[in-house]
Amino acid sequence: MKNDIVLKVSDLKTYFFTRRGTVKAVNGVDFELERGECLCLVGESGCGKTVTALSILRLFDSPPGKIVDGQISFDSLDLAKCSSAEMRRIRGKDIAIVFQEAQSALNPVLTIGNQITEQIKLHLPLDHTRTVERAIMMLGDVGIPSPASVMSYYPHQLSGGMKQRVLIAMSLSCDPKILIADEPTTAVDVTIKAQILDIFRELKVKRQMSAIFITHDLAVVAEIGDRAVVMYGGKDVETAPVSEIISRPKHPYTQGLIDCLPDSSRSKNRLMSIPGTTPNPMDMPPGCAFHPRCPRAMKICRQQEPTKTSISDGHSVSCHLYT
Amino acid sequence: MANKLLDALSSVGHRMSSSMRLINYYWQRTKRNKLAVFGLAFIVFLVALAIVGPFFTADPTAVNFDEKEIPPIGFTTQQSMYDIASNTFTTKEVNGTWKHPLGTDSKGSDMMAMIVSGARVSLLVGLIATGIAIILGTIIGVLSAYMGGWVDNALMRFTDIVMTFPFFLLLVLVVFIFGPSLAFIVLAIGLTGWTGTARLLRSESLSIRTREFVTAAKALGATDGRVVFRHLIPNAISLIIIIATLSIPGVILAEAALSFIGLGDPTVPSWGVILESGQHTLDTAWWIAVEPGIMLFLTVLAFNFLGDGLRDAFDPKSNV
Repeated sequence: MKNDIVLKVSDLKTYFFTRRGTVKAVNGVDFELERGECLCLVGESGCGKTVTALSILRLFDSPPGKIVDGQISFDSLDLAKCSSAEMRRIRGKDIAIVFQEAQSALNPVLTIGNQITEQIKLHLPLDHTRTVERAIMMLGDVGIPSPASVMSYYPHQLSGGMKQRVLIAMSLSCDPKILIADEPTTAVDVTIKAQILDIFRELKVKRQMSAIFITHDLAVVAEIGDRAVVMYGGKDVETAPVSEIISRPKHPYTQGLIDCLPDSSRSKNRLMSIPGTTPNPMDMPPGCAFHPRCPRAMKICRQQEPTKTSISDGHSVSCHLYT
Repeated sequence: MANKLLDALSSVGHRMSSSMRLINYYWQRTKRNKLAVFGLAFIVFLVALAIVGPFFTADPTAVNFDEKEIPPIGFTTQQSMYDIASNTFTTKEVNGTWKHPLGTDSKGSDMMAMIVSGARVSLLVGLIATGIAIILGTIIGVLSAYMGGWVDNALMRFTDIVMTFPFFLLLVLVVFIFGPSLAFIVLAIGLTGWTGTARLLRSESLSIRTREFVTAAKALGATDGRVVFRHLIPNAISLIIIIATLSIPGVILAEAALSFIGLGDPTVPSWGVILESGQHTLDTAWWIAVEPGIMLFLTVLAFNFLGDGLRDAFDPKSNV
């Protein structure tokens, strides 16, 4: 059952050429996004999740950043290579992004109304009244009470959860085909987190929108994800449907992540953790990037990079244990 | 292009009207600084004086040698006169009159009329030259920060060169080449005075540029021009207002200094020109130099007080 694919990222490599050396933030990532699905990018801080998202929209600072290799196929276009004018048309209209820090992602000197209509005016051929109507409707859709009055508020007059909703409303205001959410639940408390996840779930059902959800929180993945891509050291190490990832993780890193989750059934034990820290992206270990921390590392792991192996339908893993 | 400009301007206007609440907030903060309120009051008084004053005072250029060097009201001076009939010098006591409350100068022109029309000239010089400098400085500073790379380097090195160029020498040169015309003097002050603004705005824009809402604006598909006009500059507007307020007195003083050394426009009675005309008669008619001097002093002080007050009001870290 292969649905049609809206976005295909293949062998994406985004490097940052700094004075102190080359940072290989994303170093060969492959994934496909199917229509109407919610794909989760999972991994620790610094594994390249955010840079992958920014690469899709080409929003990183360039220089020093550069997509050195790979393709991002969207709508018969290659986003890794198309012109900046084409890129601008796609941003916000076809592919929208919600940032992690709602506080800083809103301009403090403009009203909410100003900021949300700005984008609608930019992409949709609507007159002023229709634009305002649409903006108010969008704010209402994400559960903001009395959206018409919120239009004239400044960001500092809203709570963190409200600001996050405003951001979601903004990114949805032009009916994007793909929504990228960069840790939208990290900076908010648990109640808001639940509400925001509800909004996303509702969107998925109502709009049949495809979403890339970036998170380090496996609970969030289990909540709303259809498929998950586990990233480590700038690479995707395991891709599988969410239920499969949770119940039958194959890669030792994924297994480690799952073991780290607090579990009420064995509450007497200490919480597990993966030893060591994420590798320095300027100085990646040779072979499999995870081998210094891997409990099941073999000799070959130090010498040779593992290739992708398909375990079952839709489940692939890059690990020497399975080759 | 023209459309884009109109769009930007209309959005600025729109924001102005919708930010009365914000203006009120800053007014509440500024109000707590008594000196700033004094400064603002004096500036408002001065602006009113400059606009409507000339309609109520005498002609500042009218010459009447029978009434020359009359002191201000409440003062008395001795004037020695040569009498042809008796071929002797007679000394006469001259009292200030209500006809010329601030006295007259050595050509018999009314000092009050001259001070009032001088206010108009000096304020215009201050506003126009500062306007030119602020606009240039903002464009160069923001562009430099936003473009980065070689553009940044080229613009900033150019700023350094303009900065090191002796400013007064340039003014003297302009007067020498184009003659003592006020328009050229204002232009010269404006075209050299933007360097500090450019540097301050560059550093401010560099920090605004890295804030996430700029990336967010780009993620919504905003063009570079939109990012600069709607996101960068509005966030730096408080800095721009402070720089403008604090640089107006400098410009007024520069024009006065230029006039004082005799390089001002003699056809336009700015305070500096009046001051210069009074320096030869300091022993017999001190008020000709002192009156514009006091006005310059108060004006510069008022702008500085207001600028300081605004800086404190706009600074979120200060608790005024």
